[in-house]
Amino acid sequence: MIEVDALVKHYTVHRRPPGLWPALRSVLRRPTETVEAVAGISFSIAPGERVGFLGPNGAGKTTTLKVLSGLLHPTSGRAQVAGMTPWRREPAFLRQITLVMGQKQQLLWDLPPSETFELNRALYEIPRAQYAETLSELTRLLDLGRIAAVPTRQLSLGERMKCELCAALLHRPAVLFLDEPTIGLDVSMQAALRAFVRAYNERFGATVLLTSHYMDDVIALCPRVIVIDHGRLIHDGKLADLVHTLRPEKRVAVRLSRPVDGRDLEGFGRVAERAEDRVVFQIPQAEVKDRVGRLFAQLPVADLTIEDPPLEEIMRDIFAAGRVA
Amino acid sequence: MATAPAEIPSRTALGRAVRALPTLLRVGVAEAVAYRAEFVIWLLTTTMPLVMLALWSEVAREGGPIGGYTGKDFTAYFLAAFIVRQLTGVWVAWDMNREIREGLISMRLLRPVHPLAAYGAENLAVLPMRLLLSLPIALVALALTGGAAVTRDPLLLLAFAVAVAGAWLLGFAIMSAIGALAFFIESTLAVADVWFGLFFILSGYFVPIELFPAAVRNVAVLLPFRAMLGLPVELLIGRLGHGAALHGLLIEWAWVAAAWAIAVAVFQAGARRYSAYGA
Amino acid sequence: MARRYFRLLSAQLRIAGLASLQYRADFYADGAMSIFWLAVNVAPLLVVYQRRPTLAHWTLPEALLVIGWFTLLKGVLDGAVNPCLTAIVEHIRKGTLDFVLLKPADAQFLVSTAKILPWRGVDVLGGGLVLVFALTRLHRLPTPLQIGASLLLFAAAVGLLYSLWILAISVAFWVVKLDNLAFLFSSIFDAARWPIGVFRGLWRFLFTFVVPLAILTTYPAMALLGTLTFRTGAWALAGAAFFALLARWVWTIALLHYTSASS
Repeated sequence: MIEVDALVKHYTVHRRPPGLWPALRSVLRRPTETVEAVAGISFSIAPGERVGFLGPNGAGKTTTLKVLSGLLHPTSGRAQVAGMTPWRREPAFLRQITLVMGQKQQLLWDLPPSETFELNRALYEIPRAQYAETLSELTRLLDLGRIAAVPTRQLSLGERMKCELCAALLHRPAVLFLDEPTIGLDVSMQAALRAFVRAYNERFGATVLLTSHYMDDVIALCPRVIVIDHGRLIHDGKLADLVHTLRPEKRVAVRLSRPVDGRDLEGFGRVAERAEDRVVFQIPQAEVKDRVGRLFAQLPVADLTIEDPPLEEIMRDIFAAGRVA
Repeated sequence: MATAPAEIPSRTALGRAVRALPTLLRVGVAEAVAYRAEFVIWLLTTTMPLVMLALWSEVAREGGPIGGYTGKDFTAYFLAAFIVRQLTGVWVAWDMNREIREGLISMRLLRPVHPLAAYGAENLAVLPMRLLLSLPIALVALALTGGAAVTRDPLLLLAFAVAVAGAWLLGFAIMSAIGALAFFIESTLAVADVWFGLFFILSGYFVPIELFPAAVRNVAVLLPFRAMLGLPVELLIGRLGHGAALHGLLIEWAWVAAAWAIAVAVFQAGARRYSAYGA
Repeated sequence: MARRYFRLLSAQLRIAGLASLQYRADFYADGAMSIFWLAVNVAPLLVVYQRRPTLAHWTLPEALLVIGWFTLLKGVLDGAVNPCLTAIVEHIRKGTLDFVLLKPADAQFLVSTAKILPWRGVDVLGGGLVLVFALTRLHRLPTPLQIGASLLLFAAAVGLLYSLWILAISVAFWVVKLDNLAFLFSSIFDAARWPIGVFRGLWRFLFTFVVPLAILTTYPAMALLGTLTFRTGAWALAGAAFFALLARWVWTIALLHYTSASS
């Protein structure tokens, strides 16, 4: 459904050091510099898949989504969505997709959402019967009730987001691009939206590509995740595998029957945590079997567990690294 | 450019504003440069006096002087008007309106510099850039139209400087008062529109005030509009005697005082209301 | 295709009308403003004619015909053109233009029909009254042909205004901080209140060919007076058509720039 091949997107940005003199000089010539927002990524998504798109701020997530929805021309590379090239923006393509942005809204501010729905019906030329059917189904799934008849400016953020989704899905797109759809919402509203996206995906077999800052969104919705950082793809696969790709280490937690000297703990792996009678080692996957044997032999082990590092911790590391760079 | 040392304690808002001024000015210039295209557009919107110049010189050429203005006088008048507009034009009403509407004004209210002082510095900061771009235009126009009379009287030139300063202060205070109305009402920009309509007619922007019928002229001289444009222009091209100049300046500065009192009052009341109800 | 866009147009206009109904109080304010601006428009003219019987061979009632068309056009400008201009600048600033571009319909069509202020129709009425008043003062009843020609030229003027507006919009893709774009537009347009004959040399050239204000108001007025030659009228129509094509071309380029450079 979505095929991306060696996609590259560069921006030219103006750079100017602070100060009066550089400011005046830049009247005549602006120093520019090229930013590599997307530096050659490839992936492919099958119809009906739900894929999470992760990465720190500025990793290139939104840029990629905009290229895939036809809003941006890539610098090079190929992309096919629903069998068409997005940036040619053919009406047939636009009818197949939708883009929901958590931070921007398409609803008309002064009018009730139902008017935006009506307008979209005309824009997408949705036959009346199909429109009525989709609208009633979406109203049920989203639990819209009567809020569609209230002027948008009087709705809460969560209610507005529900109506945004409804407006974006009236034409029954086959591909959903969701950019931070749950941003700023409270926990129960986030859960409701997640449930809806999953229900829509299952009901209509639509393909979903979702970016989010909330790990919970991704864990709840996406069996598959794509992680990009600095415009490069660093993981593509199951959420569970993400842990192995990014941190090919196990956490080996040991409870000791008596305290030991710090020197005795050397040689098993990096000590991640240490308390009175508890030590956690980070041990490379391949070595785990061997090291655990030695642990039992050399230390007074009362209890031992082997586990994957928590996902949040990994993501936090990635996101923090991105912010520094 | 040196910034005033920060450690001098000064408890008055004015003192703080004055000390922050050099930095604010520098930031303002940098911003004006960064948005150079906007600047050119702004410059184009202010070329109206040049259109009026073409129009009135043609009228004078066609049928002789009007009300004592020859073609050359019109040229001098509208070129001076162009320069004075460059020096005194402010847009604070729009900025303030938008920032109040979008809640950005909170940032300004949190800073230790009074928002009006900060807006003032931003508006002053673009002046060097404006003059840099508009003086050549005026000089070229001057050369094309065959020169024009500027007064040689040092007293009038001094009065001109005082009048321009007054015109800026007056315009800024009124635009601030209109902008601060956004704390209270929806359609501040409509108010600004009405103000501009009156300004265009009564300031001498379209027609020198002297050409109006006596009844209109006598009222117009007392209103703030003429002080913002017509007065400095007439001083620069030497159309006023010393007595009339002094009279005009007195009226102008009386309006300056009144307008500032109003602007500060409206802004303070608005800011209080804003902090009470939130954005 | 045409039927589809007609349906879209009515959908867009319905929404725009509904939105403007939200601000009913504006109706009275706009009505008052309209009379006020008419006075502002006529004032400089009265100052001239107080001292001169003619200006560039135009008598006062003849010049009033120009003012009449000017007021009519201003109604169209303020009622249908400027609101869209402000709306799209807002779209670009907030990034919501993306939603417009995602719709399976022509983006230029969508942005230029998104907003209207029907209240400004008051200006159109006022302009019509000025035209009737000027014609009575001239003791002149234009022939149907002259009325037809002036209406045709007025239609061309609206088209031209729209094209100039699209050109201005296209600038907004490069320059984002554009609160004063509408202001620039109306301040250039302001010069159209004068018969083009009063301008000479550089200005005449500028206002005839670069920013063709002559076509906007002077030619329709001349058509009513029966002084417009067929040749000039034809050139005016061709000029309007040229600007329409130019505007479409620049718009396409601007959109391409937007989709290849923005973030």
